[in-house]
Amino acid sequence: MDKTKYCNEVLARVEELMYQELSGMAYWKCEFVGVDFIRSQKILGSTVPEIVESCAAVMKAEGIVSDVAYKTGGDGVMLKLTVQGCMHHGKEAHVKKEGVRPYICPIANMVLDQIHEKLKYTTSYLTKIAIDEERNRCLLYMALYETGDMIGHVTDWLKDDEDREWLESQGSQILAAADRKKKE
Amino acid sequence: MNGQEFLDVLTSRKSIRRYKPDPVPDEMIDMILEAARWAPTGENYQPWRFIVIRDQETRNAIGDLSKQGSGSRMTSWYCLNELQQRFEGIEDPEKRAGVLEFMYSGRVSEFCKQAPVIFAVIGDLQIGSVDVPYDLCAAMENMILQAHAMGLGSCWVYGPVASTRDAIRFKKILGIPTGFGDFKVLSYLAVGWPKEQRKHPRPKLPLEEMVYWEKFGNKERP
Repeated sequence: MDKTKYCNEVLARVEELMYQELSGMAYWKCEFVGVDFIRSQKILGSTVPEIVESCAAVMKAEGIVSDVAYKTGGDGVMLKLTVQGCMHHGKEAHVKKEGVRPYICPIANMVLDQIHEKLKYTTSYLTKIAIDEERNRCLLYMALYETGDMIGHVTDWLKDDEDREWLESQGSQILAAADRKKKE
Repeated sequence: MNGQEFLDVLTSRKSIRRYKPDPVPDEMIDMILEAARWAPTGENYQPWRFIVIRDQETRNAIGDLSKQGSGSRMTSWYCLNELQQRFEGIEDPEKRAGVLEFMYSGRVSEFCKQAPVIFAVIGDLQIGSVDVPYDLCAAMENMILQAHAMGLGSCWVYGPVASTRDAIRFKKILGIPTGFGDFKVLSYLAVGWPKEQRKHPRPKLPLEEMVYWEKFGNKERP
């Protein structure tokens, strides 16, 4: 039995059903999916990069991903992860077949959870999940708010982003309805 | 009241986010709750529970959480140039910038601090049958319409409970049990005497665009 395939099929069904019930709102409800594993691991760090590296090391060692690169920006508000070879790619493909833009990302959830747990950030938000099937990678853009004062602090996250062009060609979770209207 | 008069109540309602400081009398609060009590509910389970909040400190805490919830999302949408696209229909650049700032700062959801009373609408998941979220929505709509019929303004606010972490925080503010099998927090309703006169009606899609006859997609009335 292919346990990864089985696991992804189960997750995909849940993701599709939640979307059917909650539409795009489901995207905001799933931040705890995946966190139990990372909470059972010894994650160390007192800064965002240290937490990301510690989580990435565990995830790589356990075969959840083959690689995670990260970059911070936006005066500390943005965290971008480039995830290579994620075991959940099969889940994303399943969900997309049903016309749902994948919105559950255990990898992002794990990292954000540890930033909350270890660094006590006020809040965070997984802003964008972009799946690049051709290159077997995902781009994840997250907002991190160490304090509430940084809410409303806006910068251009894509100003020097090497993936800008590709990213802008991808669908948006929050603009799904507008995108569909444009196609009509 | 005939059908047209009832429709007039429905079509004259609008979401109100600015309120006069005048208190809402207890009798009106009771009528809003009574309206909620008569909402349709699967198998008559009535899973809804309501927390009436007038305490300023509690409203401030919920307002801050609302601001944080909406602002955290919208700041990042703006940073990825997505929020701007949602509002590209506003042609005046100055007005558009103002609207965007109002959104990404989170102030769009902070107004319950000024509402004299807010109602948290929650559902007991141990009592309800299979319809808890839908029952709660029906109760919320009844409350909104009852408030409007009495000349009050209201706004249904989802901001502070949109994310799961925030929903837990919301529950903690109000002392609601936080187990996932305990209570569903739908959202809250802010109520007060309207301070704003919004233009009305806002554009609505014509029925022809949303009604099908007999089968999906068939727009011709037989």
